[in-house]
Amino acid sequence: MTNLIDLGLQAQFGCTIVGIAAALLPARVRNAVAGTAISIGGLTAAATGIIALQGSTGTGLILPIALPGGDGLDPLLLAPDQLGGFFMALAGLVLSLTALFGIGYAHGAAASRTGWAAFAVFALGVQLVPAAGDAVSFLLAWEAMAIGSTVLLLADHASREAVRPATLWYAVLTHASFLLILAGFGVLTAASGGTNWDRWVNLSEPVTTVAFVLLVAGFATKAGLMPVHVWLPRAHPEAPSHASAAMSAAMVKMGIYGLLLVTLRLFPNGPQWWAVVFVALGAASALYGILQASVQSDLKRLLAYSTTENIGLITTAIGVGLLLRGSGQNAVGDVALVAALLLALSHAAFKTVLFTGAGSVLHATGERDLDALGGLAARMPWTASAFGVGAMGAAALPVTAGFVAEWVLLQALIHTDARADRLLAVVLPITMGVVALTVGLGLLTFVKAFGIAFLARPRSAGAEGAHEASFTMVAAMLIAAIGTVGLGLIPGPLSRLLGAAVGAQDLAVTGFTGLELGSLGAILLDPLALSLLTAAMLVPVLAINAVAALRHPRRQVDLAWGCGGDRTSPRMEYNATSYSEPLVRVFGGSLQTRRSVEVITPDDAPLLVEGIAFNQETTDVVENRVYLPAIRALERFGDFARRLQNGSIHRYLSFSFAALLVVLVVVSR
Amino acid sequence: MPNEIYQQLIATSTGVLLLTAILQIWGRSLARSIALLAVQGAALAGLVLTVGVHAGELEALTVAGLVLIVKSVVLPLVMLRSAARIGETREHPAQINPAVELIGAAALTLAAYAISGPLMGPNPGPALQALPVGFSLIFLGFWLLLIRRSAITGLIGFLVLDNGIATVSFLVSGGLPLTVELGVSLDVLLVVLILGVLVIRLQKVHGSIDITELKELHD
Repeated sequence: MTNLIDLGLQAQFGCTIVGIAAALLPARVRNAVAGTAISIGGLTAAATGIIALQGSTGTGLILPIALPGGDGLDPLLLAPDQLGGFFMALAGLVLSLTALFGIGYAHGAAASRTGWAAFAVFALGVQLVPAAGDAVSFLLAWEAMAIGSTVLLLADHASREAVRPATLWYAVLTHASFLLILAGFGVLTAASGGTNWDRWVNLSEPVTTVAFVLLVAGFATKAGLMPVHVWLPRAHPEAPSHASAAMSAAMVKMGIYGLLLVTLRLFPNGPQWWAVVFVALGAASALYGILQASVQSDLKRLLAYSTTENIGLITTAIGVGLLLRGSGQNAVGDVALVAALLLALSHAAFKTVLFTGAGSVLHATGERDLDALGGLAARMPWTASAFGVGAMGAAALPVTAGFVAEWVLLQALIHTDARADRLLAVVLPITMGVVALTVGLGLLTFVKAFGIAFLARPRSAGAEGAHEASFTMVAAMLIAAIGTVGLGLIPGPLSRLLGAAVGAQDLAVTGFTGLELGSLGAILLDPLALSLLTAAMLVPVLAINAVAALRHPRRQVDLAWGCGGDRTSPRMEYNATSYSEPLVRVFGGSLQTRRSVEVITPDDAPLLVEGIAFNQETTDVVENRVYLPAIRALERFGDFARRLQNGSIHRYLSFSFAALLVVLVVVSR
Repeated sequence: MPNEIYQQLIATSTGVLLLTAILQIWGRSLARSIALLAVQGAALAGLVLTVGVHAGELEALTVAGLVLIVKSVVLPLVMLRSAARIGETREHPAQINPAVELIGAAALTLAAYAISGPLMGPNPGPALQALPVGFSLIFLGFWLLLIRRSAITGLIGFLVLDNGIATVSFLVSGGLPLTVELGVSLDVLLVVLILGVLVIRLQKVHGSIDITELKELHD
């Protein structure tokens, strides 16, 4: 009998080929056929990944690509292990849903032949990265992912000016990431004489440290951690929404997979400072990401910064897990690592909902600016419900996946015995503070995202005329939303599998489907019981409300001295900017927002006021302080180099003459 | 052919090649420079003939004839005609001191001797011993291109450079097949014809053929 994993991998290639071929069909049926093929490919990946996660292994699918030289290069092997299976399943589910969403959503350039072919290539790349069993096939899949996403990102370059600079930022950083990883793998290959993962596990210092630094820099860039996150808030808003959902929910996770690959599979016994690096990077990203997200009024930009926050939390959890394992507290460390995987999965689920929801809103209203939205709950009920669930997940509220994941992380942090180890005593309390602050700000941010966009009254004509999304779009959003809730209600069985993926055995299912962290004493989480309890507590509240409503029916109150004025103009509503104003006040120093108030007066009567314009711009401190100076320095160097080229033929001739002389002198030595 | 005569002939022809190139750098008259080019072409033809006859290849006769006709007769005539159409007889005022020009030429000739050592091997025959002259011609041709401002002299420099390449290839390979030489010579002829027309057009448009005034080749 054929091995199921090998079969699944082959089926993914098949679906991709069908997807690319379907991209050539006429525009009428292209969306449906290509989207379905990619979606089925995603499901195949999910199935394959789940089989691998349960502990089955493939015989190893060897890609029939002959490499030049061959010396020191092992065959291109696709053989997902348990960890790879988890990430493959995650990517497959996300891509399946985003492709389904794309059937209804893709229009214009995103629905072109190039658009769909790029999506198919991108999907295959993301699904195969965690399946790779050696460096070369990893890099091949990685590059397919990078190129596919860059092409997708460029889709609207003809109609929107901002797409090109965004793509440039993305392309530069994604290739920087590729080069760093290539360099890291190169170091390891040179030291071990082969490209297969298995050859590298026996390497020791200082090779591993050099490789660690290069690889972590590369993977952090892809994941969007703090100093190298700048592509996220540019690329996500400008990509078509199904692509930004796939990039945020699936692609950046491959950076996380890379970090885990290095620290769990390749070099599990790394020094403690590796873990501290992870915690520092993660905590900084989480705080900075959520702070920026909380003051954004562009919905997709907000979601992009929230990606940095979540990736930061995941990295923090990984760092804590490694730190604890390194100091001998294996049981708690295991729990933190499981928390990292749960965070990754929950982020994938709710970010799929949120980005596809944002896509539906953009599709229906033509607006991404929260200050121009509002009142969508009545106009787009399905989108609103799904987005609401996603926002609850992002805010880590109970009965969603986000809650379970952050609860597990906090349990690990709380139950650590930090008395023995000074490093732990310093790092863990800070981490706990950062996580708590992040979760709090996350709640604020997503209350804003949902409340301003979907509740109250429409603030623009676009929002006024909004309509519900098409069937496939709603289906994709709802499935992802159900997934978010499902993971929140029955986390038990899955967590056990995740425990196996990171080498932890102590998790058990408790109650109906809840989670028992056996290693931490009897710490139980039974979300079903929790939600029943919540429902029971809601009964008196609702009853009191109902009684009050019966006693004091609502009356429309008109302004007594309003001179016929309208009391409820949308301009009087609380909007995203005003909602986040207190935060801007508190964190103004690190956010560096720019505001301007302009009083518009007629030219001939400077004392009359025609209107007052308020403008607030949020800027990225890292971008302003690090990237822009670097770019300016490069430009100065470029201007200097331009002097070499002054147009004089004699000068050009002397360059080639000098080159000829140098070559001859070198050759004749 | 006795070995001594062979040696003498090689030495004479390569000597003439080097001498003409140095004289071209020294002089300022365009007509004399073109005449020197004709002499150089004849010396190159002589070299081809000597190497070919010594190797016992009768094809060398045809190749030498071709070199003589193209490099010693046709090209100089074409260039004289271009110069006459433009009305230039002397080189433009120099960019650098004439003494520096000659010192540079001497240094480049020394450099040519220095770098061709490894190419000659431990026991070079008479032909290979003359290899540095070929490199000198290449360098001096380039040097002419660099130090002169008139487009016509630039063309002369280019032809000296080409003569240098031909010399090196003849000396190293002991004679080129007729087809290769035919291709190369016709190429050069075509280039010179086109550049001749270009120079005349340049004179018409700019009123001068000073290439230092062409400065628009940048972004």
